[in-house]
Amino acid sequence: MTGESERTYCFKTENKFIVKSGCKKRMWRSLKQILVADRALPWTEDAVLYYSINAPPTFKPTKKYSDISGLPAPYMDRHSKLYYSNAEEFATVRNLPMDITAGYLQLRGATTIVG
Amino acid sequence: MDNVLVLKDYKTVPDIVHEYEPTLKFGHIPLVIDNGSYQCRVGWSINDEPHLIFKNLIARPRKDRCKKDAEPPVTPPIQIGNDIINIEAVRFQLKTQFDKNVVTHFEVQELVCDYIFSHLGLDSDGCVPHPIVMTEAFVTPNYSRQLMSELLFEGYGVPALSYGIDSIFSFYKNNIGDSGLIVNCGYHTIHIIPVIRGKVIAEHARRINLGGSEIISYLHKLLQLKYPVHVNAITMSRIEEILHEHCSIALDYQDEIKKWANPDYYDMYVKKIQLPYVQNTSSSTLTAEQQKERKKEMARRLLEINARKREERLAEDEEQLQQLLAIQDLIEEGDTDEFEEAIKTFDIKSYADLQRQIAIVQGRIDKNKQRIAAAANPEEVEVRPSGRMQPPQDPEAFQTWLAETRAKYSEIVSRREARRARRAAMVRRRTAAAAERMRVISRLAAAGDEFGNQDSDWDVYKSISREADSDSDADGERLLELEEALREHEPAPSSSLHHQLHLAIEPYRAPELMFQPSMMGNPEAGLAESMEYVFKHFSAEDQLLLANNVFLTGGCSQFPGLKERLEKELLEMRPFQSTHKVVMAGDPSLDAWYGARDFAGSNDFESCCITKEDYYEMGGEYLKEHHASNRYYRSPPPIVDNTLAPAGDANVVKEEIVVDC
Repeated sequence: MTGESERTYCFKTENKFIVKSGCKKRMWRSLKQILVADRALPWTEDAVLYYSINAPPTFKPTKKYSDISGLPAPYMDRHSKLYYSNAEEFATVRNLPMDITAGYLQLRGATTIVG
Repeated sequence: MDNVLVLKDYKTVPDIVHEYEPTLKFGHIPLVIDNGSYQCRVGWSINDEPHLIFKNLIARPRKDRCKKDAEPPVTPPIQIGNDIINIEAVRFQLKTQFDKNVVTHFEVQELVCDYIFSHLGLDSDGCVPHPIVMTEAFVTPNYSRQLMSELLFEGYGVPALSYGIDSIFSFYKNNIGDSGLIVNCGYHTIHIIPVIRGKVIAEHARRINLGGSEIISYLHKLLQLKYPVHVNAITMSRIEEILHEHCSIALDYQDEIKKWANPDYYDMYVKKIQLPYVQNTSSSTLTAEQQKERKKEMARRLLEINARKREERLAEDEEQLQQLLAIQDLIEEGDTDEFEEAIKTFDIKSYADLQRQIAIVQGRIDKNKQRIAAAANPEEVEVRPSGRMQPPQDPEAFQTWLAETRAKYSEIVSRREARRARRAAMVRRRTAAAAERMRVISRLAAAGDEFGNQDSDWDVYKSISREADSDSDADGERLLELEEALREHEPAPSSSLHHQLHLAIEPYRAPELMFQPSMMGNPEAGLAESMEYVFKHFSAEDQLLLANNVFLTGGCSQFPGLKERLEKELLEMRPFQSTHKVVMAGDPSLDAWYGARDFAGSNDFESCCITKEDYYEMGGEYLKEHHASNRYYRSPPPIVDNTLAPAGDANVVKEEIVVDC
């Protein structure tokens, strides 16, 4: 039994998971935690589980697109690591403030130090 | 193309509480809930349309912490679904019960269920007397289902419950045979589910962990980075609207983006989105003239105030002088006693002091009089040119003047840029500029006595200096001057232009994520590649069965051009001259609900339900399988690690071994 909330409805027997404000909140497992727990179990061979139907990693070479315009980008600015497609864009890329370049890199998922 | 698209900023309408009719109340009518991670759709199995359609979100306002303990803390009400009128106002307080496409946060789920049942007008006591059909994610983890069953059976006392998969309900609703490849594009995931002769081949299904929400946040960030000035005006809900109404899938993405590289094509087809803006009437339209007027007016008023003050002070001083002079008269008349009395009240010590006071006051009066005289005719002093650059009055001459000023401005800017670049190059070694500098220095060293005969000789130092020189200082000043002049006299462009978003490739770029997740750093294969991967697991005949019935459903499949794109991709991946067909769901967003409703109304629905007894007997994760459900795999008991078992148990095992011998 959990604590009663301020608002109860006649059609309910009890508040199952809602806790009164101020009471200790139940921590809900995230999907990741649930999957980790699932993985630890000795499932039978034929069981299809959430983590087993993930899409395969891509085998095709990933295409490069200019970060600012989306055009095909044959070049990369060595300084900011942004892709650009022509000289005009290069001038723009060079003048971008730090936070914008960081934003573009993050958007592309290229923020790892190694990459 | 000059038509600018205007954002509509849709508002939600709070749901009404529906009537709980006696036929529903006493008929044990099943209730159908399509619990999607984007929207929740709820309705009775006997109705044609769902009663409630709302975003599966709650907004839990924060408590006011600053209030004192004396007052009881006022908890603002929790807003759910369509109660949230302005979603942007509570953006940071939004919560959903979903983690990706799986329900994990059951407190929120319970609040949502309360919302559902109360808005359907349920008034039965202590239970919800209706069987429930609930959709769940494909291969939902048992843990999540267990909690959902617990909530519905124990919290609401439902008599029976059946789970189904939204995309498969949609597949059967569209009645396109019993084999096909379901492509369900959802809010958080894209599922590719093969169905062969009525059997879901779950082991070869695949899920791409990317959906509408990722596309929205991608476009959101993209536009925020493109227009940093409008960061706050570019809201998630506006982006959602742009995505729903102006985005589409390119048939051939490479071709499409190549077209956009052409500036003429860009100008022809660029989409202009107008952000809301406030016309700042007072400051910009009044412009310089009126501003000057206003300033003058202010100055005049200030002068008036000063003059009045001066006059008051003058009057005061004169009065004091009169009094002091009267005292002086007293002593001249020889009335010493009265004089003593009088100077006491004025806090004056002696006759000499009195004399001095009179002199001071007299001086003050004179000064004030002078000032008043000066302030009376200030016009002669005031007039001076407001700026150094005065444009000609004649409009035609004004235009040429403006053009000239602009040209001068850009010339100085480019000169400054060039100088800056040269200086930057000079700092580095092995550049032409650095070499040139060294050459000049060596020539300087070799220069004879002639050097300095002409003033221009000294300019050499400017060319080799690494610091900013006097030229750039002068240019900087000139630049400021021109800038000011331009700012003052250039006609201001209408502010609506400043609040426009130009969308070129972006409307194609964001949905393209479905085919190229690598664009946002997701290493997974895209939709087409994953489909190809799924096909590979089947025999040639089964592949043909699937390819001839590729079924598109889910909210995100409504992008214009997705069907054509998939057909093209199939043409590329399938063997030469083999057939394929893509079928769109009749209503990609609602067909799951319609399918679930049909299922709830079918004759064998009863047998597909988990009853309360089943729940207590088999546990929360139990699932009755049917044509549109997940498969039930009972969770195995966790592996017990014997090496960590307590010593007592180990002894027992040993004894057993002895008995065996």
